[in-house]
Amino acid sequence: MDALETFIVESAIDSETAFYRQIIEDNLSSLKLGPAIGRIKVVLRPEDSLFQMAIILRDIGSKVTTLDMADVEARTGASHEVVISIKKERYIPELLKKLWDRHGKANIRQPDRWTVAVDSDNPQEEAEFIEKMIVADPRRTLHEDLVDFAIRATPEGFRVRYHLFKGKRFVFVASEEAMKKEWIEEAGAMLDELLTGGKTK
Amino acid sequence: MTSIFLPYLYTGGVHKHGLILELLEDLGGYIIQKVVTGTEVNLIMLIPEKDVHLVKELSKELLGVLLEAPLTGVEIAVVSPTLASHHLPHSACDVAEYLRHPGANTNMIGLARGMGRRVSLSMDYERKLINEHDIAVFTFGSFSDCIINKKPKLFEGIEIPIVVTGGPELKTEDVPGADIYVGGIGRVSHRLRKKEETDALDNLNEGVAKVVDRVRKQLAKDQLAVLPARVMKEIEDQIPEINRVLSPAPITMQLNGLRVKLPYDEYHERFENLEFDEGVVLSELANISRSKMKNYILIKIKSKSDVGFAI
Repeated sequence: MDALETFIVESAIDSETAFYRQIIEDNLSSLKLGPAIGRIKVVLRPEDSLFQMAIILRDIGSKVTTLDMADVEARTGASHEVVISIKKERYIPELLKKLWDRHGKANIRQPDRWTVAVDSDNPQEEAEFIEKMIVADPRRTLHEDLVDFAIRATPEGFRVRYHLFKGKRFVFVASEEAMKKEWIEEAGAMLDELLTGGKTK
Repeated sequence: MTSIFLPYLYTGGVHKHGLILELLEDLGGYIIQKVVTGTEVNLIMLIPEKDVHLVKELSKELLGVLLEAPLTGVEIAVVSPTLASHHLPHSACDVAEYLRHPGANTNMIGLARGMGRRVSLSMDYERKLINEHDIAVFTFGSFSDCIINKKPKLFEGIEIPIVVTGGPELKTEDVPGADIYVGGIGRVSHRLRKKEETDALDNLNEGVAKVVDRVRKQLAKDQLAVLPARVMKEIEDQIPEINRVLSPAPITMQLNGLRVKLPYDEYHERFENLEFDEGVVLSELANISRSKMKNYILIKIKSKSDVGFAI
């Protein structure tokens, strides 16, 4: 599936559709969600105070451990420390945050861009732990971003919300009135339509 | 004898701009705002109508630009349904910023519960705060159904002229309660800089200028007991503390009054006793009250028919 291979916005009035398409594009790009989304369909019914959105995601990366992004080596010579040699720079902020929480900032040095050294009394054991530590979970951040995106894109007054995130499917319904079951079903139907309607590999 | 003043904006170098200030003083004009940014200076001023050419000549000599600034001395409330990221910084801030180009002072007001269709409402405090301004610009969204049928309830209790912006192109008469409706500025999540967007903002400025013109004409029928610009000058001369206020536009001019950014409790008596050359004090000519904005002082000047004379 390509990124954004289907992008549908529907509303009764054409000009309003264009405005909303722009809002959704802007929010997608500001949250950098474009590459993660395969197909998206949004239906607006302002007269019913209703906003429905169905999204099919592209492949989501699995959890990243330290070993996926770096080599870990325990040193027990003159200094007792664990040396982490970074291979993928992208996850450094997350890695450092985890290390700071565990060891405190004072025990962590960054002699250069590609190296992080952690002072430890028992480097061997610590290295084993750090190797298996989960640094980032793209799925979790994606979930947060998707919900954030949905809330940003929805008209602000629509505070009654329903959302479902399962596998690669994301459904969001928002309204100002009490949620109706058929609205959620309609959004589910939109999702099915996306699943079958779009191009497949 | 009262002379007619015209609002102008001078933009030029800081070098020798004092000559403009001196000339304006000699002519009896007023400086409304002076903003120095680096080596540039912006002067918003009121020039007596018959002497405009003198200032024009001097500004040409100083290689500056003199532009008409029709919204000078107007305080505008830019009201957005809430302060959530749905409305800010775009488009509400863009609207406010654009209105400042022709000389207006703008305040942004986000209602506490202005969002939604059925649930939107405004509070008494908010309505009073909006009514302290000259004009209210309401920035609405992209759905014509909301703008026509639902949002106008936010106008209840607003006594000042109302300008409405929104996405769809609607007629002003379709939006109940609006004095002017400007389309093409709906809910957006990017900065308004495309041609059609800036065109819409230009339309907004024109619309607001028309409304201001109408208000000025109404005021001219029963003129104010004293010009707000004159009160401003007297405040600067008699209450020097105003020069130490760090807020932008410490004295904000309005069409029929002023907002002074000094605490009410400490200063209101001095304002009430502000004396004019003619021997009258300000409290005879104006109502001085506590502003709903922070603890500022709001001066609303009475009309000639109320006071019995004008100075």
